[in-house]
Amino acid sequence: MKDQLISIEHLFVTLNGSHQPLLEDVNLTIKMGEMVGLIGESGSGKSLTSRAVTGLLPKEMRVSGRISYGGNNLLELSDKERYKQLGIKIGYIFQDYRGSFTPFIRIGKQMTETIRTHIKLTKKQSEQLAREVLNEVGLEDKTIYHRFPFQLSGGQIQRAAVAMTLALKPELIICDEMTTALDVITGEKVLNYLAKVQKETGCAVLIITHDLAQAYKHTNRIYVMQQGRIVEEGLSEEVRCHHKHPYTKKLCSCLLALPGEDLITTASQVMVK
Amino acid sequence: MRLVFSMIGKRITQLLIMFLLLSFITFVLMKLTPGDPVRTILNVEDVSTTTAQEELIKQQYGFDRPILIQYGEWLSNVVQLDLGESIIAKQPVLQLIINRLPASVALTIGGLVALLVIAVPFSVLAAIYENKWPDYLCRGVAIIGASIPSFWLGLLLIFFFSLQLNLLPVMGRGTLAHYILPSVTLGMAMAPVYIKLLREQLIDILQSSYIESAIARGIPRWRILLFHAIRGSLIPLVTMFGLSIGSLLGGITVIEMLFSWPGMGELIVNAVTQRDYPLIQGYIIVVGSLVVFINLLVDLITMLINPQIMQEARRAQ
Repeated sequence: MKDQLISIEHLFVTLNGSHQPLLEDVNLTIKMGEMVGLIGESGSGKSLTSRAVTGLLPKEMRVSGRISYGGNNLLELSDKERYKQLGIKIGYIFQDYRGSFTPFIRIGKQMTETIRTHIKLTKKQSEQLAREVLNEVGLEDKTIYHRFPFQLSGGQIQRAAVAMTLALKPELIICDEMTTALDVITGEKVLNYLAKVQKETGCAVLIITHDLAQAYKHTNRIYVMQQGRIVEEGLSEEVRCHHKHPYTKKLCSCLLALPGEDLITTASQVMVK
Repeated sequence: MRLVFSMIGKRITQLLIMFLLLSFITFVLMKLTPGDPVRTILNVEDVSTTTAQEELIKQQYGFDRPILIQYGEWLSNVVQLDLGESIIAKQPVLQLIINRLPASVALTIGGLVALLVIAVPFSVLAAIYENKWPDYLCRGVAIIGASIPSFWLGLLLIFFFSLQLNLLPVMGRGTLAHYILPSVTLGMAMAPVYIKLLREQLIDILQSSYIESAIARGIPRWRILLFHAIRGSLIPLVTMFGLSIGSLLGGITVIEMLFSWPGMGELIVNAVTQRDYPLIQGYIIVVGSLVVFINLLVDLITMLINPQIMQEARRAQ
């Protein structure tokens, strides 16, 4: 329990005026330096869970339960106190890469703006840091730094988003379907960069995905969600080979029907090389 | 930079085409409208004159020649920056316009500043508190503002701030204080439409994914609002301003008359009532050119606010 970074206990999310919960008794823990997968079909409540952690839920939703983080129950903190955690302690990478950056502000400016919001650095120091992290994720800072988001490809934007998140060295990074909008090879490259940086920094990562192959490959543990509930959890290998719940079985059978896992891995390795 | 020059080139071409069309149409229409400039020139509206006198004037001013020839002559003079001479004032039209134009432009800028000062806070407040009492209040103010005629609003402002409180001058142009009432009247008259537009834009943008990303990065809310949301919502606002600049320049006439503002309003009203054709023609050409020029500025500002538009323009080239 000591090395637990975040612990979600009995989390319920309900739409105002409705009795049917959207999330029902969700329990999930993430340890320091762990990569955890949250899988399930669209609408199963994966993103809702992550948004409950960050406080980005729509106003018309009620949350109850407990989200323990840094000795506090996040749900009991004021909006202002919760807001202070965003970016610097909990990083969030979105599915819609076009929306990761404000379209009419240069990437570099948005990165330095984010860095200087949380870390006391001069303009020059923050620029240097932004350039460093861009290079770390395999982007050429000389070109990317001065570009506008619409001048980059999807893969470049997602990597820049990873870079921006990493610049603040958060303890937890939530990747909400971050590769869904990318092609398979680019998505794999972005995840490989994330895994590499995760190993170097030791941060915890929650990967939300409906791509089982991705979850098996990159995570230590997996939670399976169905209709707002966690139906199965365990080590990635366990969930893959010894799943118990019929829904997980169904998901795995879909994966087996696909021919590409080995091909994807091989292709991404070729690309990275 | 090449793109900017190419845009300026395109606009100048547009300006020339517009100039020819506008000048020809107004030239012909003015000749067809009732009222005789000859009688105006003779200054004898209610007294009978001899045919010989009228014929002499017609010959002198070229009114007896075919309309196309009259237009051609006028056009060749305009190319040499000679807009003719005012029939009433007996002064060069260009000089008369140049004397009055700065006051009108200054009032327009004052009105624009007042518009921003009124519309931006109201629409931001309405968008942040969407469907709550500040939103209802702002929308109510906008509806009331839209239904009040600008001249009446001006009279109200004069009554309260000049006559009752004795804070601001009633009329004329001189000090900065003279600008406040006419500018506020103009700004308030335009504000309702802009409040509605900006509010809707802001609501859309505040729900967009890039704003959510900025929130997730922990950027302070005021920064998000100022540098990410408001800037994004300014684009349609600037475009709309460009489109409405023509009606705005026409609309300030009422306010100029109300505040005895020494702009082009009084000049053009007198020119129309007294059939001072050269002056009307000159006014239309100057204002038309100004509208095209301001639209060019609007295009450049839009590209600065949203560089994606510049990229699209580059691709289109």
